[in-house]
Amino acid sequence: MKTIFTTTALVAAFGTAAAAQTTLQFWDNQQTESGLSQFQQEAVDRFMAENPDITVEVTTIPYPEYQQRLLTAVQGGNAPDIATLDQIWVAAFAQAGAVADLTDFAASAGLTRDGFFGGAWDSAVFDGRLYGIPFNVDVWQFSFYNQDLLDAAGVEAESLTTFEGLRAAAEAMTGDGQFGVGLFGHRGEDTVVVVNSFIFSNGGEVLDASGACALDEPPAVEAMEYLQDLAQFAPEGILNANSGTMRELFLNGSLAIEFWPALEQPTLQASDINWGFVNGTAGSGGTAIGTFGGWNLAVFESSENKEAAQKFIEFMVREDVNGDVVDLIPANTAAAEAFLAENREGPAEIMAHLGNAKPRPLSARYLEVAEIQMTLFQDVFSGANVAEAATAACADIDALN
Amino acid sequence: MTAKDRWLVWAFLAPALILMGVMLYYPMVGTVIESFYDTSFISPEPEFVGWAVYEKVWNSRQFPEVVWNSIYWTVGVVLLQNVLGFFVAMLLNQGLPAQGLLRALVLLPFVLPGVVTAILWRFMYDPQLGLVNSIMIRLGLFEDNAAWLADADTAMAAVIFVAVWKGFPFSMLIYLAALQNVDKSQLEAATIDGAGPWRRLIDVTLPSIKEVVVVNIVLTLILTFNYFDIVWVMTRGGPQNATHIFPTRIFETGFGQFRFGEAAVYGVFSILILAVLVALYVIVQTGASKRRRTS
Repeated sequence: MKTIFTTTALVAAFGTAAAAQTTLQFWDNQQTESGLSQFQQEAVDRFMAENPDITVEVTTIPYPEYQQRLLTAVQGGNAPDIATLDQIWVAAFAQAGAVADLTDFAASAGLTRDGFFGGAWDSAVFDGRLYGIPFNVDVWQFSFYNQDLLDAAGVEAESLTTFEGLRAAAEAMTGDGQFGVGLFGHRGEDTVVVVNSFIFSNGGEVLDASGACALDEPPAVEAMEYLQDLAQFAPEGILNANSGTMRELFLNGSLAIEFWPALEQPTLQASDINWGFVNGTAGSGGTAIGTFGGWNLAVFESSENKEAAQKFIEFMVREDVNGDVVDLIPANTAAAEAFLAENREGPAEIMAHLGNAKPRPLSARYLEVAEIQMTLFQDVFSGANVAEAATAACADIDALN
Repeated sequence: MTAKDRWLVWAFLAPALILMGVMLYYPMVGTVIESFYDTSFISPEPEFVGWAVYEKVWNSRQFPEVVWNSIYWTVGVVLLQNVLGFFVAMLLNQGLPAQGLLRALVLLPFVLPGVVTAILWRFMYDPQLGLVNSIMIRLGLFEDNAAWLADADTAMAAVIFVAVWKGFPFSMLIYLAALQNVDKSQLEAATIDGAGPWRRLIDVTLPSIKEVVVVNIVLTLILTFNYFDIVWVMTRGGPQNATHIFPTRIFETGFGQFRFGEAAVYGVFSILILAVLVALYVIVQTGASKRRRTS
């Protein structure tokens, strides 16, 4: 009888322990060859040591496949507990009811907009509710320049921060197989964020406060006309060129200025190029305003472990952890300052550019808006009348509503 | 065949038929049904809208572009791939020295994965760094760099060239096998009668392999219409939609913008066109079988 009791007690004890163990599925994507997976795993191990009742299984998916894999998982009812979502997907996932409302969790955990870059926080807000916690960020674009080419042409780097200065510099540095400015216009988000940044920096918007298209407003049209003119100083083939194409030319010394986020710095640090950067380009008297890129952590509505998932998110965005687990810039501003001081040139300039950057339109139909924008920008770079093309694009965007 | 035998035949066929039904026809029927619903990722509850999505797609700016591009792409690739494949097969059928090595070399593009081919040629076509412009300029054919994939006038032709480069060994293999089965005595008789190489090709070789030619053309029509990776990796359907064909449009609409209803409509049009091509293939094959039985 004693043996039976002992066995029963042991089974009960182990059974309870097994039932209390929670396993979280965490999906992330990898955009760079930074060895991030190893650092993330170390952080996950640390989290599991702090929370022995939670096991985290990390799945890292290559960036090009990530969107499709997530979409298929959600549609098939196999979504993970937590995943990183591109800022531009959050509204669609929220509208679809795929991700959980984190507003109350954030308030109770003390996670507030002040602790993060404002634009990144805003990218997770949809219909006044919070559906993600900013995880990592970057901003398009910084103008990275080849100092030797600037010196040879007698161009001051500071002049690149104004529309007129950038144009004059690009003109001065174009010729004999060399190109002044690395504009690109393929059908991709990197094209959208760069053109958006010129529009924002000229006082324009993509959508106005009411959600109506503002691309046909004078500031946006002027910015696109400016870029259309600037394209004559870019390498041939702008309509099929992307940021990667321009990086190749910049690294081989035939391109004077390339547009990239701060993520480009490790590549340039490893090169022989004598480089520097300025924070984008603005219209006369204005300040350059970049376009936010980055990822938010979201909990899926289908998760049966929301509490544990929220605990994991709280850990991942903590000041002492966030900098170790991202390959862009930590979204936690305190972590970002430490990260930039250690890993990037010009941390103060980067912080300033991040501080005033804007997110892309916070619309559940953003991807359709972006497709129309890509068509518009390709028309612009092909020499179309900008005002007419913008009017047509706005008609298409407004018809989405 | 007795009734019992017939049951036995169906019993053996059943697993394969069930598998085909689940894996092939269920998604196809699902696509047709989905095309009558307004459904996207952000409105997961499908709403029946009849022909509304068809009307939307039909009246869109992109639809005629996709149809025209698909015709241009398919006809261009099939024509050039078959002509080139046939003439290379003729060449390799002449008993040249090192014939085995030559065949292996010709087959190389075919064994490369489509994505690898596309990335390779993207570099080759690069306006500044690419080999194509470098050769053209050295030969004196161009003075300046051409942006092959970035110009709406040249992008489709450039992509077709790559697809032909990759695909012609497939056609060549089939033609070579057919050429090796042409009755040698007929060729010798034609030569004795004074027929030159061109006459022998027109009057003896082509009539002997005409069924293979037709089957090859229909097969490559089907394969080419469905092609995705080369176009997507090289241009993503650009510039200005100049290379958007049905498969790239379906992918972009469904997975890029989460608009499943519209993607399904493009899918249905795609299925209809492929059904015509498959029917053509079946007719050709059936006719060939009948002729073989008759002779």
